[in-house]
Amino acid sequence: MAILAIHPGTYYHIESFESPRYAHYFDRLVRPEALADVALEEFNVVLIPCRTPADRMEPHRAQLRAYLDQGGTIIATGESDSELFLPGITFTPQPTNFWWWLTPGADLGVRISRPEHGLFRHLEQKDVTWHLHGWYDVPAGAEVLAVNESGKPILYIDEVTTGGRMLITSLDPFYHHGSHFMPATTRFLDGFLPFMRQELDKDYSR
Amino acid sequence: MTNHPPNGSLLLIHSHYGEPPGLFLLAEERGDAVIVRERDLTPAHFTAARGLITTSHLDQLGFMDHAPELARLMARGGRWFFNGHILRPFLAGLGSYAPIAKARRADLVLTRLNEHPIFAGIDQPSFEENKGVAGFYGRGHNPLPQGALAINGIGPEKQPIDWEWTLPGGGRMFSHAGNDIGGMGGPNPNHALVAPRIIAWTMGEI
Repeated sequence: MAILAIHPGTYYHIESFESPRYAHYFDRLVRPEALADVALEEFNVVLIPCRTPADRMEPHRAQLRAYLDQGGTIIATGESDSELFLPGITFTPQPTNFWWWLTPGADLGVRISRPEHGLFRHLEQKDVTWHLHGWYDVPAGAEVLAVNESGKPILYIDEVTTGGRMLITSLDPFYHHGSHFMPATTRFLDGFLPFMRQELDKDYSR
Repeated sequence: MTNHPPNGSLLLIHSHYGEPPGLFLLAEERGDAVIVRERDLTPAHFTAARGLITTSHLDQLGFMDHAPELARLMARGGRWFFNGHILRPFLAGLGSYAPIAKARRADLVLTRLNEHPIFAGIDQPSFEENKGVAGFYGRGHNPLPQGALAINGIGPEKQPIDWEWTLPGGGRMFSHAGNDIGGMGGPNPNHALVAPRIIAWTMGEI
């Protein structure tokens, strides 16, 4: 029973991982550069937060793949160019509208597509709605949990590409929460991290 | 005895993955600027520098490894323009970032407290909003070190969101406790106005 988080070291990662609100969700923090010294198979979940520089993760592609293939779970949140270091990800960026909510009655268009999924015992639609950064062409068999205004996947679980499980999203909650900017992102983590601990931090088998 | 910055380069520390920020590209036109990925920093970069600019994406954990070189650069009269939330004690005398809790619009008003060449002639409240949205400039402050001069204040308490500090041992630091300022081509034209001034200040020219 353990969760490992990659710690790229910016202020928003420090605030998200080290402050009391969420620190207890991360059993160990590791710098990207130290990953090779960590036995990933000892962890049920490896979390790679938003805005992790991809060139600090690319050297560890093979290690991450091996971890997945032995049944590991990787969570990767947005703006990290995850397709450069995780398998099977096809991402299309979209322009970010920072001002959408100024229009009365405006709707960013995010929709929960699998309300019966366990994640949504912890989260509502408004908790996954702040900005859009892009969408994914997901592999056949992946489970799409939320979509953008065009019905394109922005949050999905892939249990087909590897022997393990990847939860991938273009949402960037750690960046905004760690910046004290965007209450929806704190609500997201208030729901997502308990889900991670309760539902994902256990031995995984299909 | 005054601290004349030695001749040297403008060290631009590029922390995020992707293209360097517009401010760095502008600075690069000078010919004495060096853009370095943070992960590739060596002590020699600090030794050769007259001043440095860091962004809000600084890997603060990694940058602490360079604290001795940073201290030496400051001690010989160097300058450091810092963007972001200070969460590590890079220099003796620095404190940790203080966010505004549940910031409302009135908490984000900006006030010029003391004139400064970077902001000369700029109406500080015109920095408050981008397309009608406040908060991008910053939402808190890095504590004012002893002897530092507050330049801009935020909120009704006028907390020092921007300050300049002449260190007891020499050198000057400018702290902007928010998103990077001096970006080019953004929705607020003030940023393009201050960009060349930030570069000139960092090199001790203003």
